[in-house]
Amino acid sequence: MSGTEMSPPRPTRVDGRRLRSERTKQLIIEAYLALAQENSPQVPTAAEIAHRAGYSVRSVFERFPDIRALQIAATDYALVQVAALAPARDSHGDRATRIRTQVETRGQSCERWLPLWRSLVVNQGDSPELKQRIVLSRQRVIARLELMYAPELSTLTETERRYVLIVLEALTDVESWARMREFFGLSFEEACLAWRQAIDRLLPPTPA
Amino acid sequence: MGPPSSSPDGRRLRSERTKQSIMEAYIELLRERPEIPTAAEIAARAGISTRSVFERFVDLQRLSLATVDHAFAMGEAQAVARNIDGDRQTRVRSHVETRAQTCEHWLPVWRVVIANLGRLDALRERVRFIRLAIVKRMELMYRLELEGLPAQERRDLLIALEALIDFESWGRMRESHGLSFDEACSVWMRMIDRLLPPTPHGQP
Repeated sequence: MSGTEMSPPRPTRVDGRRLRSERTKQLIIEAYLALAQENSPQVPTAAEIAHRAGYSVRSVFERFPDIRALQIAATDYALVQVAALAPARDSHGDRATRIRTQVETRGQSCERWLPLWRSLVVNQGDSPELKQRIVLSRQRVIARLELMYAPELSTLTETERRYVLIVLEALTDVESWARMREFFGLSFEEACLAWRQAIDRLLPPTPA
Repeated sequence: MGPPSSSPDGRRLRSERTKQSIMEAYIELLRERPEIPTAAEIAARAGISTRSVFERFVDLQRLSLATVDHAFAMGEAQAVARNIDGDRQTRVRSHVETRAQTCEHWLPVWRVVIANLGRLDALRERVRFIRLAIVKRMELMYRLELEGLPAQERRDLLIALEALIDFESWGRMRESHGLSFDEACSVWMRMIDRLLPPTPHGQP
């Protein structure tokens, strides 16, 4: 047996500096998100972000070349959280259950993420990266609708199915939720009911 | 008797025309770039001096509000309610086409207004007023179908219809989904027809 075979397995080397740097990055992103949520749709300044995260402005710019890059990283971070907090449930339930579940999940997402979404939409400017994330977010909503209403959508022609999905997405848009809550003064439950009734009318009959 | 243009009325008319050309320049700039233009940019586009702008509007905020009011008045004038006594299909088509034309024409301006709601409190009131006008138009166009519904169901249906025909809903059909004007109108017409309850018997 060689000496090499005798020696214990070498532990994976943990790069402490890199870990700390990643942790700092995450804290900066979280500080950005907290400020964007509180002051939506205003984009927080580097000084505000640094202060909230407990670092210097220099530390912020050591990890992100500019505020736009931070905005993009924070959007990605938020999108992961949105997906994690809104898993698909009851996709094999009966029609009423599926509508209820989809609406409640979507309502909770809208309620939680409205300020950040507004900030993203208002401040996307001409950033292709942010625009792409807005498109991605809408595609995810459509994918969820396709999953939850698969039985009903399967009865439609390709064109009709596309049109129903476009309209369901518009109906359950974040700003549509915001108008129900802020403009029409509906409670969370009342707003869910309004969406449930409309979705039920828009969907074709469930196949036997 | 002097020439009409030098009379007080002539001066006032000219001043009103200048005011209007300032607001139209503002709207033109918003259509080109979704940001509030500077007074100098507005003046240059209107072909007058920046000083002339501030002789007619105290500040950029007042000018912004006056422009939103002017745009709303123009939008209303372009979107007269038609066929309110027509049959269901005619009313849906008429409503959708009118609304679609408004969205097509005013979406860029609407986006700037929405993006700046936080900066100007008075803008919120204007937006509220515009949304109420949209709801009132639907109440007028679909009164036959709506009148038989219980109050809460009627309210919820109007909310769903308002979400459906929102400016951004139109914008997404045209920009993200690549639908033509006619295709997008067709989507709205079909879906409004699905959302509305049956028209009472004996009614058009």
